[in-house]
Amino acid sequence: MGLVGRRAWKTIESILLFGVGLVFVFPFLWMFITAFKTMPEVYQFPPSWWPESWQFNNFRIAWSSGPFLTYVWNSLVVALGTLILQFLIGVPAAYSFARYRFKGRNMLFGLSLIALMIPSQVIFLPVYVQLSHWGLVDTLWALILPFGASAFGIFLLRQAFMQVPDEVIEAARLDNASEWKIMWTIMVPLAKPVLVTFGLFSFIYHWNDYFWPLIMTNSDTVRTLPIGISMLKAAEGGKQWNVIMAGNMILVFPILVVFFFAQRHIINAFVYQSK
Amino acid sequence: MKKVKASLLACAFGLTAVLAGCGGSQQASGNNQSPANTSGSTPTGASAPASNKPVEIDFWYALGGRNGEIIQEMVKNFNESQKDVVVKASYQGSYYENHSKVLAAVSAGNQPDVTMVEVGSIGAFADAKVLEELEPYTNGAEKKYIPGLLGNSYWKDKLYAIPFNRSTPLLYLNRDMLKAAGLDPEGPKTWEELRQYAKTLTKKEGDKTATYGFSTAIDIWFYEALVFQSGGSILTEDNKALAINSEAGKAPIEFWTSMLKEGIMKAPPGEKYNAWDVAKQDFLNGQVGMIFTSTGDLRGLKENAKFDVGAAFMPANKSYGAPTGGANLVILAKSSDEKKKAAWEFVNWMTDTAQTVPFSLESGYMPVTTEAVESAEMKAAYEKEPNFQVAVKQLEYASPRPMVPGYKELQEVIMTEIQRAVLGQATVDEALQKADEKGQKLLKK
Repeated sequence: MGLVGRRAWKTIESILLFGVGLVFVFPFLWMFITAFKTMPEVYQFPPSWWPESWQFNNFRIAWSSGPFLTYVWNSLVVALGTLILQFLIGVPAAYSFARYRFKGRNMLFGLSLIALMIPSQVIFLPVYVQLSHWGLVDTLWALILPFGASAFGIFLLRQAFMQVPDEVIEAARLDNASEWKIMWTIMVPLAKPVLVTFGLFSFIYHWNDYFWPLIMTNSDTVRTLPIGISMLKAAEGGKQWNVIMAGNMILVFPILVVFFFAQRHIINAFVYQSK
Repeated sequence: MKKVKASLLACAFGLTAVLAGCGGSQQASGNNQSPANTSGSTPTGASAPASNKPVEIDFWYALGGRNGEIIQEMVKNFNESQKDVVVKASYQGSYYENHSKVLAAVSAGNQPDVTMVEVGSIGAFADAKVLEELEPYTNGAEKKYIPGLLGNSYWKDKLYAIPFNRSTPLLYLNRDMLKAAGLDPEGPKTWEELRQYAKTLTKKEGDKTATYGFSTAIDIWFYEALVFQSGGSILTEDNKALAINSEAGKAPIEFWTSMLKEGIMKAPPGEKYNAWDVAKQDFLNGQVGMIFTSTGDLRGLKENAKFDVGAAFMPANKSYGAPTGGANLVILAKSSDEKKKAAWEFVNWMTDTAQTVPFSLESGYMPVTTEAVESAEMKAAYEKEPNFQVAVKQLEYASPRPMVPGYKELQEVIMTEIQRAVLGQATVDEALQKADEKGQKLLKK
């Protein structure tokens, strides 16, 4: 029974994994196929599973529908700028929450956990009014500053820092290492898988974010890629699904690349966390 | 360790570079704003400012795709056509996203001067005192617009909005299919005829239905149309309660339900506009013979259909009838007087015959002035493509959409209830009773 049972279980597991994988891959595949179709082929029923002739022109139409180079640049500045700011604030915050005992620590940590639970839709109006007073609406600052302190990042890093054995830090202190040095040269490298995972989550979130940039910006010069893509969609009348999907391909491509390279670290991070 | 330090330093530099980048683009956009024309403007007319600098106004629009590009082009032409006003146009998402943005911007005090508002929301905006009353600016200019399109421009007898991109629901026909079945290719004129046509066009293969005669999304817009056709209205005259718990309110649901039961109508699956897309796709693939959809779809359907597409009035019950849709242009009350005057110049120009004719021809929306409908250019286009004229002709029977402040929420309630009735989860009476109760609460606010 043992061997047969295990083998049967393996087969079932593979089938299940394949099924789940298919569920995740299918939308991407459909987007890819649709991006290369002609409009009549998009509407065709039963649908075709492979484009009859490859319409690369869809990408050209999507790209030239607006200042896409500006959008891509803005998206990069916002996603990376946010990420850097989050690290600069998150690492010291997480280190102090994990390694120091000070008055009000639990309360402060509790406050940052509360921040984790409030979606941006709830607070956008007061933040908008505040940024408007500072004259930052319709600038890239409005897309970066409100996300500078990431509660999620602080929480994740704190957990990682807490798992570093005390001996390591004590040894460093005996060698006269400054707290600053311990934080950046010992703790941060040890938490690398967590940092990469968090970085990826943050990057994807801000790269894809539609709601916040839409609310905070009015002009094309400071807008990001998702808004450019949404402009491909007409309110009434025929939607050019093939061009919209071509635009979406442009949007997801960088994320797929980043994900591809960071995959190993992500798996590490989850294994690390569950230890 | 040195490596880490170096990379941190790089990070810090990176950050400065990024931040500098922000500042840069902010400045850049500031430079863009500085008007190109500082000399040569003539201080004549109402819009001329005290100085020689042109007045700059912000225009927020809510159309993506090709129609958005057409609007950008129109704004460019306006800016080049005169020297007193410079319009900065920017896209703000869908009607509803723009709606939220404008409200947020008004509370923060950095609202645009002109924007597009979906016709059903005009009342909510006007009631909140966000909109500028337009009669002091128009000097009677509102008479040039087609009366059937002005229904959603007034709130408490005051003019607040000018029709811009306007649509109305129509019956679309697969003329080839109708001809093949020996039916009049002009389509059914009454509900009973629609039922007969749908029956004739429906084809069964064994247990499965290969072709449905008729399909429509169970959507509030079409429900409004059928209520109007039955001689009813959605709200009571004082706008204080729903008027659909009546014969005219029941008739559309009973009509749809009976056709669904007969198997000659398909209710397309999907939430909101997804159901519309399914209906259009089925129509293009010859799986349904007739659908309800917007005038705005005519161009797209014609381009992608392999058969002769026809557009017709929505069939009559007691009479013809249809709501209108799309959006109007409004001026915001919070802008400065100088900007409001400039904004009116712009609104007037955008909706004038010289602009609305090409806009209509390119976008598929209806022209908004009576003069435009009579123009040689429009007449030539109608001759070539009679389908385009159907919507304008149907305007004679059009009614405004309900526009009380609570209707945006209420229409979701009505839609849910009629869908429940159509799906057989509730009787028609139960559903309308429930909608009525919820309506009372929402309209009292």
